[in-house]
Amino acid sequence: MAAGAATAAAKGNGGGGGRAGAGEAGGARKKKGPGPLATAYLVIYNVVMTAGWLVIAVGLVRAYLAKGSYHSLYYSIEKPLKFFQTGALLEIIHCAIGIVPSSVVLTSFQVMSRVFLIWAVTHSVKEVQSEDSVLLFVIAWTITEIIRYSFYTFSLLNHLPYLIKWARYTLFIVLYPMGVSGELLTIYAALPFVRQTGLYSISLPNKYNFSFDYYAFLILIMISYIPIFPQLYFHMIHQRRKVLSHTEEHKKFE
Amino acid sequence: MKHYEVEILDAKTREKLCFLDKVEPQATIAEIKNLFTKSHPQWYPARQSLRLDPKGKSLKDEDVLQKLPVGTTATLYFRDLGAQISWVTVFLTEYAGPLFIYLLFYFRVPFIYGHRYDFTSSRHTVVHLACICHSFHYVKRLLETLFVHRFSHGTMPLRNIFKNCTYYWGFAAWMAYYINHPLYTPPTYGAQQVKLALAIFVICQLGNFSIHMALRDLRPAGSKTRKIPYPTKNPFTWLFLLVSCPNYTYEVGSWIGFAIMTQCLPVALFSLVGFTQMTIWAKGKHCSYLKEFRDYPPLRMPIIPFLL
Repeated sequence: MAAGAATAAAKGNGGGGGRAGAGEAGGARKKKGPGPLATAYLVIYNVVMTAGWLVIAVGLVRAYLAKGSYHSLYYSIEKPLKFFQTGALLEIIHCAIGIVPSSVVLTSFQVMSRVFLIWAVTHSVKEVQSEDSVLLFVIAWTITEIIRYSFYTFSLLNHLPYLIKWARYTLFIVLYPMGVSGELLTIYAALPFVRQTGLYSISLPNKYNFSFDYYAFLILIMISYIPIFPQLYFHMIHQRRKVLSHTEEHKKFE
Repeated sequence: MKHYEVEILDAKTREKLCFLDKVEPQATIAEIKNLFTKSHPQWYPARQSLRLDPKGKSLKDEDVLQKLPVGTTATLYFRDLGAQISWVTVFLTEYAGPLFIYLLFYFRVPFIYGHRYDFTSSRHTVVHLACICHSFHYVKRLLETLFVHRFSHGTMPLRNIFKNCTYYWGFAAWMAYYINHPLYTPPTYGAQQVKLALAIFVICQLGNFSIHMALRDLRPAGSKTRKIPYPTKNPFTWLFLLVSCPNYTYEVGSWIGFAIMTQCLPVALFSLVGFTQMTIWAKGKHCSYLKEFRDYPPLRMPIIPFLL
């Protein structure tokens, strides 16, 4: 869900690095676009993020070659992964101040779900860090984000190569289910350890008369993938048809 | 007397839906809506939005045809507001739920807590007091809905009832679960804390009721007039000097009182969410007042005196 939500695209982002999920309308919008200062900042932001995820990609490849196996590669890219994925929180602010034409709510939801998986699951439950499912979503996210941030960079510079557009609207078909699987398997792997240690859980009695069962909460999160994943996935498929066929039409008239 | 002709087009497709001839110049939009329903019975008046411009604002039921900027053949655009449900129905349903649900937890009906607690009673006085307060609050709301409030709109979209009931019923169950739990911990500062909290709660309930009565008296029965509310002889209404929506101020106060009384975090969270929503409503109402009335008292803030 976090993987796919981030790939969910808006129709060709002309002036901004916006993103959309199941809720965004494809209708006509007043194209104001960010000012020149904001555009410069966004270009820098997107370039830095592209570079960051490239660092993670390279880190994965190097670690794989050095170790000779694909197990436990998480440790070699743990720091840049945390840094750059957490950095994406800035995107919420971009929407809030209006330099990116996307919904604050939708963007928050997408970024928070990623940050949740990184910190509240993978970081917090050390035992899952050696699971292969972690590699599954890390790879999915890495490829997705490299394409997504370069897409935004080129869009802002009004020079979007068709290849990038194609990649963004096509690779999700495989990457999204891959990422979702990695995420769900990781949460599932964390469950027994959460149960054992009572991680992030409060039980009665206490003076605030409140209880929270993190184990049950994680299960609810897993269940929430069931309604959310198909919606986002089919929204992307729909967007793909619109965006890629529109480009075909354009090419015909040139 | 010259009669008007009215044609009604679909706002999205511009399809001609209805043509009315020989319409009286003094006909109101409400009457036109009734005529439109005759040819399209599935669109009862409450779900019709008629406007002069497809993307413009809805015309009001009271607007008179003659007074609108139209020629003798008027073109109106129609938008379907979707299935509607009356405000009274929504309010009664959303308030009856918490009243009933809380009591299920209070009486420790089976399958909520362990079986050895079925139908047992809490040994803490504050738990009984909390039940009385919570129940009183929702009975008051139900009675106000039936006898006090005068609604501007008759209906709201149907999906609101599901949204609203989930909110009220969900939170009621969540709060009631903890307050009536066998392992409930009474307030840290004991009877002192409970007494203070009860005082806050009662004052705010009286305040909220006073405001509802004052607002009711502003508007004659069956009308939809809007006037600036002012303080009356009732001291609780003096809060109108400082805020536009003292009913919301008192409501937040009641729930803060209840939170202090029960010392229960879910109650505090419910108060916070309610406060956020009421602040949004208060700001909207405040803006409407400012737009509509040139002489609106400048000292007033939407919901919190001097602050918000």
